[in-house]
Amino acid sequence: MKLLLLLLPLACAAQVTPAAIGNSPNADWLTYNGDYASTRHSSLHQITPDNAKDLVAKWVYRLDGAKRLQVSPIVHDGLMYISNTNEMVALDARNGRQIWHYRAKGAEGARVNRGLAILGDKVYFATADCHLIALNRRTGSLIFDVPYASFANGYTTSIAPLAIKNGILVGVAGGGSGQRGFVASLHPDTGKETWRFWTVPGKGEPGSDTWGNFPAEMGGAPTWTTGSYDPALNIVYWPTGNPWPDFYGGRRPGDNLYSDCVLALDADTGKLKWHFQFTPHDVWDWDANESLVLLDSTYRGKPRKLLVQANRNGFYYILDRVTGEFLHAQPFVSKLDWTTGLDDKGRPKVIPEKIPNPAGTKVCPSVRGASNWMSPAYNPATGLFYVVTLEQCDIIVASAKEPVPASGFRGTGNEGIPTEPGKFYLRALDVLTGKKKWEYPMPGPGVMWAGTVSTAGGVIFSGDDDGNLVALDAKTGKDLWHFSMGRSLFASPVTYMIDGQQYVSIAAESDIFTFGLFSPAGAN
Amino acid sequence: MRRLWLLALVIGLAHAQTSIEAGRELYMGACSGCHGATGEGSQGPSLLSGRAGRLSHQAISTIIRKGVTGSSMPDFPLLPTASVANIAAFVRSLTSPAISAQLPGDPESGRTLFFGDGKCSTCHMLLGQGGHPGPDLSNIGAERSVHQLRESLRKPSARIEHGYRSATAVLPDGSTLRGVARNYNNYSVQILDATGRLHLLERRYLKSLEIADSSMMPPVANPEDLLAFLAKQSTRPPTQQ
Repeated sequence: MKLLLLLLPLACAAQVTPAAIGNSPNADWLTYNGDYASTRHSSLHQITPDNAKDLVAKWVYRLDGAKRLQVSPIVHDGLMYISNTNEMVALDARNGRQIWHYRAKGAEGARVNRGLAILGDKVYFATADCHLIALNRRTGSLIFDVPYASFANGYTTSIAPLAIKNGILVGVAGGGSGQRGFVASLHPDTGKETWRFWTVPGKGEPGSDTWGNFPAEMGGAPTWTTGSYDPALNIVYWPTGNPWPDFYGGRRPGDNLYSDCVLALDADTGKLKWHFQFTPHDVWDWDANESLVLLDSTYRGKPRKLLVQANRNGFYYILDRVTGEFLHAQPFVSKLDWTTGLDDKGRPKVIPEKIPNPAGTKVCPSVRGASNWMSPAYNPATGLFYVVTLEQCDIIVASAKEPVPASGFRGTGNEGIPTEPGKFYLRALDVLTGKKKWEYPMPGPGVMWAGTVSTAGGVIFSGDDDGNLVALDAKTGKDLWHFSMGRSLFASPVTYMIDGQQYVSIAAESDIFTFGLFSPAGAN
Repeated sequence: MRRLWLLALVIGLAHAQTSIEAGRELYMGACSGCHGATGEGSQGPSLLSGRAGRLSHQAISTIIRKGVTGSSMPDFPLLPTASVANIAAFVRSLTSPAISAQLPGDPESGRTLFFGDGKCSTCHMLLGQGGHPGPDLSNIGAERSVHQLRESLRKPSARIEHGYRSATAVLPDGSTLRGVARNYNNYSVQILDATGRLHLLERRYLKSLEIADSSMMPPVANPEDLLAFLAKQSTRPPTQQ
């Protein structure tokens, strides 16, 4: 039987449907954060707390020239897809053998790439100069290469697109360089834009009065991470980043909508249904681009559709994702000193002394944030939300200098405090309260950006700050296994299954490392 | 006849004041012994590499005139200036993308041939149109020089890109699978068949596997129209960049 499976031609398998993406991750891993709800929780259960000690390396694939892979691989039909700046590769997911390699010749920009999307018979990725590229998933043949923003005007991107029923959703960077953010939906067959939502309103549009006279074209509020999607509500949830200039708000009086928000957009039209702003008038560079995790649960006695996020500003938020109503927030780091707390609408009361000034202001969390784009995971069986957190403060210096877009100007900047180095922890939070259940310290140089994956086997995988892939008991945080990659980690792991073998993969600088349970020679 | 279109090619190329064809003749006499007849390199370095492609006309002329100290590249102090310029023009043309060349063939006839009687599209794709086993050609005009394209059309087996060798596997049930080996080693082989099916196979299960050193593609005797058509294939034409 196994033999037959091995020889099954891949073309027999069905096209990748939105329903399949919604049911992922199982044997396949079909979207950046595993599923539309961004839980990164896999139904695979071959690896358990009892046998995780038997994990061994299965294969390593080196992508020549890659320096800092940040991709979460996509796995489907026996193939693994990975992306790097302006290039994409398909591998035999059992052994890491390359099937095809596509380089977007002529593509400009050098920004990192976080991943790709799959739908139908195509795989999609965005180049650093904001072209969406669609390739035949079996051959790597080019289907289209379509620009969706102007590199000449300063736009770049690192995004892993999100494939939904009728669109490939993309975003842009620009919070640190003064571009106007947007989310766009491009047609899966042609790349033609079907809708676009500008994250900084144009003159006279709702929300434009939250900027003073600051030009919308420089507003930032970038869309550089992958959003979530609720097919039943037909709503796309997209997080936005900081207003520009990052650290000086004097020229942009007001809340600066829709920076540092979650946007609930109609999936067919891109029309805004509601928004919630985590950090109004941000002057600390606290993008809200962290994962938006969707879950349905009984909350305060009644069934609710929830959206949760561990925000860069140090609070774990719970919102009603139908209405956008703020339900609850809880600090998930101890180093948090910029606010006296949130009001009943979730609006923070800012301590005036924590607004950066030219002399320098100590603020906690740091600019990197209490968490960041490293993906969290949520396991419905444990009710725990697993998130990599950073305990750190920064000195932030602000300047009223005239802002010039795409010049490197950010309203001045931040520096670490040498006597108070940042410390990473993987924390398990009660998903309905945000309270810490356990934590796993991750000693190291304080440079990692690795995220997590959860499995039905009861094992959590995460990168740590010392370059290890670690396996922890999902209930207790007990250390079960680790493997040193010998380099710092800047990506989140994924898990998948082929021919009865569960694999765990993580990108590490130039390589993809893949692990599975030991099996006798010849069995794999 | 062949001389006529070569002449037209030469006249049509951008650097009309220097003669690529004259440069080619000089090159075949003085340079090809070390750099290969098509610039592929042998004792001397390849002139088709990315590094060679980044050298300016002036830089190449200087190397020809002065040689490279510490290497076996000699100097040519007495070569007339025009001859140096012609050789440099030829060397530059080896690596210029085909899309930048003016070609004598008729691209529309080439298109008809590609999707029609030539049956090229049975195996090759252009922006999603065509067949699977051969290399995608959507951007080929920006990736290959005229020399490389012409060689690929005339002598498909002279230089086979990794991942496109013909493969024949006999499966455990005795049936035969044919396609191209996108990759292979002692343990596994990944075969793409003519219908676009990908077969990920472990070699220990196969009765036999043959990987050919030749291409599945038949040679094209008179490739000029096809060449003109393929040279135009670019996903990001120079005007857009």
